[in-house]
Order: sequence, then C-alpha cells, then structure tokens
Amino acid sequence: MNRAQAQDFIGRILAMPHQGELQVVVNGVHRLGTRFNDCSVSQNVLKQQMTLSLTARLGQKKSSVTINTLNDDDGIKHAIEQVFTTCQHMPDDEEVMPALGQVLETKEHAFNPQSEAMEIEAMGEWTAAACRQGAAAGIDLAGLLSLGKRFCAYGDSAGGFAYERYHRSDYHVTATGNNGSGWAEDQGVSINQDDVILATQRAIDKCVKAQDPEVFEPRPTTVILEPQAVGDLMSMAFWYGFDQRSKDEGRSAFSNYDETLGKLSFYSDPASELFPTISFSADGQALSKSLWLDQGQLQQLQTSRYWASKNNLEVKPSPHNIILSGDGTSLDELIQSTDDGILVTRFWYIRSTDAKTLGFTGMTRDGSYRIENGELTHPVVDMRWNESVLRVLKNVTASGKPMATGEFISMVMPALQVEDFHFSSLSN
Amino acid sequence: MFDLLKQACDTAKKAGCRFADARYLDLHRQQVSSRDLALSNCSESDDRGFGVRVLYNGAWGFASSPGYTSEEVDNVVALAIRIARASAMAPREGGVNWAPQQALKLAFKSKCIQDPFDVSLEDKADLLISANQVMLKNNSVIRAQGYLLFKRVQRWYVNTEGSELTSDVTSSESVIWAIAVGNDDFQERNWKAPSTSQGFEAYKKEEFLIQAERVGAQAEEKLSARLSPEGDFDIVTDSENLSLTIHESVGHATELDRVMGYEVSMAGSSFVTRDKKGEFQYASDKVTLMADNTLENGLATQGFDDDGVPAQRWEIVKDGIFQTYSTGREFAHYIGEEHSRGCCRADHWSSIPIVRIPNLFLMPGKEPLSPDELIGDVKHGLYFEGMDSFSIDQRRLNFQFGGNAVWEIINGKKAGMLKAALYQSRTPTFWNACDATCDENYWRPHGVINCGKGDPMQIAQMTHGAAPTRFRKIRICRGRDS
Repeated sequence: MNRAQAQDFIGRILAMPHQGELQVVVNGVHRLGTRFNDCSVSQNVLKQQMTLSLTARLGQKKSSVTINTLNDDDGIKHAIEQVFTTCQHMPDDEEVMPALGQVLETKEHAFNPQSEAMEIEAMGEWTAAACRQGAAAGIDLAGLLSLGKRFCAYGDSAGGFAYERYHRSDYHVTATGNNGSGWAEDQGVSINQDDVILATQRAIDKCVKAQDPEVFEPRPTTVILEPQAVGDLMSMAFWYGFDQRSKDEGRSAFSNYDETLGKLSFYSDPASELFPTISFSADGQALSKSLWLDQGQLQQLQTSRYWASKNNLEVKPSPHNIILSGDGTSLDELIQSTDDGILVTRFWYIRSTDAKTLGFTGMTRDGSYRIENGELTHPVVDMRWNESVLRVLKNVTASGKPMATGEFISMVMPALQVEDFHFSSLSN
Repeated sequence: MFDLLKQACDTAKKAGCRFADARYLDLHRQQVSSRDLALSNCSESDDRGFGVRVLYNGAWGFASSPGYTSEEVDNVVALAIRIARASAMAPREGGVNWAPQQALKLAFKSKCIQDPFDVSLEDKADLLISANQVMLKNNSVIRAQGYLLFKRVQRWYVNTEGSELTSDVTSSESVIWAIAVGNDDFQERNWKAPSTSQGFEAYKKEEFLIQAERVGAQAEEKLSARLSPEGDFDIVTDSENLSLTIHESVGHATELDRVMGYEVSMAGSSFVTRDKKGEFQYASDKVTLMADNTLENGLATQGFDDDGVPAQRWEIVKDGIFQTYSTGREFAHYIGEEHSRGCCRADHWSSIPIVRIPNLFLMPGKEPLSPDELIGDVKHGLYFEGMDSFSIDQRRLNFQFGGNAVWEIINGKKAGMLKAALYQSRTPTFWNACDATCDENYWRPHGVINCGKGDPMQIAQMTHGAAPTRFRKIRICRGRDS
C-alpha cells in the first residue's frame, strides 16, 4: 500500500459511521526469511500480512480492535461498531489522551530501494554461497538471512495522518567447530552478498580461534564487550530503567539517583545513519532525537503524553532504536591496552536480578577469549556473570566505534572496555 | 473449510511435491488490563489466514496468505514451490527423512464451560479492579495492576497423506501484581492465576481477593526483607517456581531439533547429546518427568500437532534416567525412532511448525509427604515461591533462577522473607540433588504462554507442573550487593 492508497483507505474508514474519536493504524509486512543449519536450508518462509488497528475514544474511555481482513468493508464496519461498543463499557481512565491530529511529513530514513527490489531467489543464492563458504572451511554454519519490507500508516478523526515505508535486514550466523563456536551479524535496513560473505567469514574466524577453550576461574576482571554484548545489556537496561514516571514514582533504579554514569552518551534517533527507523509512534507522535544520558548525565527519560501533561514535562515517546556513543578506539587497540581480561563476542539470556540497581545476569556465548599483556592468548569456557549496568557504565575505560547491532531491537553500539566485570560461574 | 485446503494439497501433489500440508487458523484474542482503579486497556484481535508447506525436490518451501479464496490458494502453492526451489540451492545432504504417519480424521475441542468472550467487560473489570483495591490497601503499595488474556484458536489441517483434522482451543491467563515503594527500595509481588485451556470458569473472584490480600501484604513485607545469604543451602521450590526450572533445564534441553543443531544460531543447542538416550543419569531416582500432550486443560493439548501427528504421553526422564526427546516428523529418524512424538507446532498461520516443548511435569512423590514435612527436614535453607529472574546458557547447562518471594528456612520452619536470592546450578547437578517431592495432593499445573523459540521468533504455550520439591546443597547467590 503506497502513501496515496493508505491515505485513501484510512479516509474511507474514518468516513464510516462512528460516534467518537477514531484512530486507525495500518501495518504491512512482506518478510523473506531463509534459515539454514548444517550448511543447508532448513526453513524458507515468506510472510505477507497487513493488519488494521482501530482505537476508539469516548471521553476518558478507550479500547482497540485489530483485524487482518482489510478488503472487507462490512468486516471493517463491524469492527468499528465492536470497538465503540466495547469502549462504552470501559470505566473512565484519567490517563486517556485525545488523538493529536497532526499531519507528519516523514522522510523515510529507513527505506532502501535495493531492499525493496530483493527477491527470495537472491536470498537463496546468498545463503547457498555462505553454506559453501562454511563447507570450504570445514565448519558447520547455522543462521538466518531475513529482509522485511514494511509500511505503517496512521490516521485519526482529528485530522492526523502519517505514512512511512521502511526496511529491516538481519543476517546472523553461528559457525561451529568440534569444540567451540563463533558468531557474527550484519544488521540494518539493507544487505548485499558482500555483507553476507564478510559476516560469514568473521564468524568462521571467530570459530577457528574458539576451539578447545580453557577454564578461566570466574572472578571480577576487565572485559572488552563487543557491540552485540553491549547492545543486549543496554537494551535490557533501557527496558527496565529509562522511564520517567517510574523514576518519579520511586520504582526505578534512577529514583533519587544523581550519580554520573561514566562519559558516554545514550540516545535514540530515527534518522541515525547507521540504523535508521520509522519516525513516528503507533499513536501518531513524531519521533526525533532524544538524549537519555548526556556524557553520563541522566536526562529526562521516556515520558508519556499523560505523564508529561500532569507534570509539565516534555513528551518523550518510546523510541524505535537506541544508540550509545563511543570514542572510536579500534578493537585491536582495546585489546592491546588490556593487560589481563576477557574479550566477549556475545551475551545470551540476560535477565534482571535486581531492578533497584539495574542488576542483570547473563552468559557469554560463541567466542570468549583470554587477553594477556595486550594479546589474545586462548579461548575460554563460557561463563555466567552478575553485574549492574550502573556500575558497567561507570567502569568504562575505553570504547570503540559504534556499529549497527541487534536482531530484535535496532541498536548502534560500540565495543566497551570495562573494568571489574563480575563473572560468577562456569558453563561446563 | 477443508475444501480449499484439500485444493492446496492436491495442487502441490500434482506439481510434484513429495509432501504438502495446509493449515487454516482463525485466532481470536482479548486482553483486558487494569492499573489501580481503572482499566488501562481493552484490546481485541481477529486474525485469520492459511499457510501451505511443501516438500519439493528434497527442500522445504512455505508461504501463507490471509485471503482464503481458490485463486489465492493456487497463488500460495505456487509461491511455496518457488521458495522450495530457492531452498534447494543449499540442499540437505540425503534429503529430508520424513517419518511416516497414518492418515487421521480427528476433531479436538478443549473444555470451555464459560466462554470468556461472552463474559461482560464489566465482570472482567470487576475482577481485576477489586483485586487492585485490595492490594492498594497496603500503605507501601503505590501501584496495583493485572490483566486477563483470552485466546481462541480454531485450526483446520489437511495433508497430502489424507489427514483431515480440526481443533478448537480456548485458553485463559491472568496475573495480578503489586508494586511497593519504601525503605529506599521498591519490590514487586505477583500472583499468577492458572494459565489453562479452560474458559472463564477457571477464575473466581473470591480467589482473586484472597490472593490480592496475600501478595499486597507480601509486596510490602519484601521491602524490609533482609538480603539473602550466600553459599550452599538446601532449597525447597514451590510448584510454580519449579515449573519454570523444568521448562528451561529439561523441556528445552530435550528438544531434538536443538540437539541436532537446527536452533544453534538463536535458541542454542543442548548438552543432552544423542549418546545419552536411555543411559544418562539426568536426575536422582526420585525424579520422573512426564511429557503429556493429552493432559486435561494443558496449554499444549490440542489433539494433534502441525505435522498431523496425534497427541501422546511419554517419559522424558524415568526414575532419574534420560529416556527420550521431544520430536517432530523430520527429526525422529535421528534417534532411530520410527514415529514422531507429535511436538511440532506453529504459532500462527504464517509460521512454519518447529519442535516445541510438550506439556511436561514432575511426577508427584509416591509416598505421602506434605510441604510442612518437606520443609521440616531442612535445618537451614531457602524456600522459593513463584517465578522471577531466570537465565540459562545456550546448551541448557548453567542456570540461575530466582523466586518472586523467598523465605529463609531455619530448623525446619519458614522464617523471615529474603531479598535478591538466586539459586545457581548445572542442570544434572541440580536434578541429581533432588531428594524428595510432595505427593499428588500438592501437585499443581502452571502454564507458560510466552515460550520463545525459532528464528524468526515464534511464541508457544505449554503446561508444566510439580509438587513442592527439595534439593540438597544448592549454591545460593544474590542479585544485589550487600
């Protein structure tokens, strides 16, 4: 559905009989996904779907309905009736806000013409080539190459409208040898065969260096966290801690907290060159650059329209990406400046252990290596860690060049050199 | 409803597919959420469509569409074959070894006495807001929340082997929780009502109010709880806490697709390699872990799986010894089994089936044993109730779990509450440390509705269960510095 079609479609829906305020969101996805393991394709899937979400508001009452039959006007009329009927039965909620009624001129930062033209056959060819690359190295490869072609359109009965097309590419690959594995990814809004070849080779190289890991007795030590590990940690911290209302109500790690968290800046920006995203939210709010940490200083956090209006704050909608600044030090230089530490390729299964201190636990995975006197000396057995993000940010001693990462969340993260990182147990 | 699905299979067969199946799903969902004395949300969705999977030239293709017309069915079959051709560019050595399955004709319907979609919004609001009112009576509780989630999944399945299957499953879930603030801290305490393949009859207001009273008071109590000790202690887990441990350390570890490397790039592999089948001492002899996709009201109980295989019951661990895996038709041959265990499920009409954890539970102890007696034999230990922090490595070996509420046990009695307690172990070490589980009178099921696996991620649901169970000398650490 292009912009004109979306405008026409939403206009028709808004013209259908209804009692109060109506918000309409249309989402469309055309996602190609080729999954492989043991150097052969195991799943190959095309997902095509559009959904229509209708949100009704009657005073301080609100409810919503989502359907996926967009070509049935009677069905849509029925859904409108249904959502307003439900809405009438809702008790009042003082936090319900009216539609914004804003017309947004979007720039489609995350739209990529090459991605738009991608076909399933190309993905099959690239995957087959990656499999041959693994076979030539005598290493098993498993991974996913996927590309989503998407659009989102928003309209409301107060005159609001927004439309944007965007893409999301994801290639991640695990290389497994007899006794150790390596991993690499390429994330963004477009991908080509060279990207696939390079990421595959990085995974293979990691794997070769990861064979026959040795035990490193878990203890607090210096780590170099590669961007995926940093991203996994920061996305969990963002989810648990970076909400203004929770902070104000005393149920956040940042409640009554005024310490400086190192020197890095943490922000969101739909126009990020490395990982752009759609530039409006599901309720038609424009997204712009939002600073959460300015050189370690806490700024106003995500703030809903309700909380902003009640407390005279700026509205800061939930973003679609998170970005951590870095000082551009190369990974080699980070390693060279480490006397005694561990290089971590990737984290896995991070969970909160204490929301008050932004404490988390997780595992290393797919390539961890001992650093001694500025050199990688040998791979190490995977370890569990228990650590506070507040402490991690304060203990950063150097950082790399930010790069795109994240299968589930769009992120731009640097590698970090962190002192006194708490490993707690072995996985063997 | 079957006609177009048969058309899809016939068309695929004529085009030369060795196997094809077609599924139509009609999904209806409603979530009602509360915040303090208001409903913060009521959202419903209707979602329907079909997917066609083909095995063509030794490779899989899958395509789907919401448009259920004869013309669209032909388009989707053609697209699935086109995708299979692309898959064949990197073919599996030896092709796909697809376990045989007799054609079935079966209609399954879950038990639903009170259709949750017929219950008024006012009644649902009353249930949630009444519970919130009770939790908010505690001075330190600044927020009380809850939700009710209802799903109905109607499914029609046809394959080229002649199976014609339908299922109609309604499931329900509810959670209420209180957040308390004070003592320069904040703590959350929750109660999970049964997640079950039943209707609204599973939820009684009296029970919600009793539990709201309890969790509201305990949220406040957690604020002044002392920090957990660290070291090796005996622990007792309630059935809800252990259900999650079963899920993570046994359920996922014994999915055969993981063992064979199909999930390596995302969910991971497994330490339970094939040489362990029938021999490995997974647990102590007190432990029998039963898989059962025929379990009444189980969230994975749906009559048949998305490979067209009927639901089954089997032992994963018997008297401590690992018996066998959860499988699908593509995987049974890897362990020399002729037939699938019927564990392949897809979460949507646009998703391809993958091996999922079945309903899986710890069998209750054979001798009479109450929780008081179980705790009575602990000199100094910890009692874990409910689910909290949970993390496990990608081979399902090293894990660390918390509890939503934890008490110290001193001289055989529950003493004060503890804060930030976590138990950390290795899967076989932990399960071999089990020395007792309570009898069937104390066995409870617990549903998991958000099990993520696959790449792209799919979400599945299943039921676990256990009676309160004791483990000796487990390492305790804590999630907060002293």
